[in-house]
Amino acid sequence: MAKVLIPTPLRQFAAQKDSVEVGGGTAGEVLNALTAQFPDLKKNLFTDEGKLRSFVNVYVNDEDIRYLKKDATPVAAGDTVSIVPSIAGGL
Amino acid sequence: MITIDPEAFGLMVSHAESTFPNECCGVMLGKNTEDGKRVVAAMPVENVYKGAQEDRYEIRPEDLLKADRTARADGLELIGIFHSHPDCDAYFSKTDLENSCPWYSFVVLSIKKGKFDHAASFLPNADQTAAEKEELTWQKS
Repeated sequence: MAKVLIPTPLRQFAAQKDSVEVGGGTAGEVLNALTAQFPDLKKNLFTDEGKLRSFVNVYVNDEDIRYLKKDATPVAAGDTVSIVPSIAGGL
Repeated sequence: MITIDPEAFGLMVSHAESTFPNECCGVMLGKNTEDGKRVVAAMPVENVYKGAQEDRYEIRPEDLLKADRTARADGLELIGIFHSHPDCDAYFSKTDLENSCPWYSFVVLSIKKGKFDHAASFLPNADQTAAEKEELTWQKS
């Protein structure tokens, strides 16, 4: 089981939990297990086409999965999966 | 509604003034309460935008990850993001909207001629097409 850390504003869609233990051998499988358990999380993380929203980054421990194997990034028991937004702006 | 405690607001303002004429950025930690969001701590983070920072900012995702860990360790929550608009009003620009995230409050600090002028808070939607203004109260320390 991996531990998924739930950002504060999304806890309302995850039974108010700040973290959830889910199964899965890859980042994609972990996210699928998470959204299967808490379906309301899905529209917050994924577009209607099933892609991660543009502002959503996923980290396995300290590594951004975009720079690893994306959805196929291996996740081992005891790993921590974090959901981290992209934020920028300007005038 | 979002309320920012004096010490946190003072830190946000001093960071925004010290980085003028560039944009600054940072995170706000606090609690969701029955009366709304209350910010008790602010953490400046590096503006990592590669280019002219007078009108752009970018936060390294790793810094948000660290902020979230700090918040959890301190029994707080990541409530929002702040950044400055040098010599410009505190509005939510098209660039702000297109690079936002709907999960947090976005506080914009207007810094004019190097000094704090006013602030406003915004709640962008998930499609990054609109941002609602959020009632903001603060006290200067």
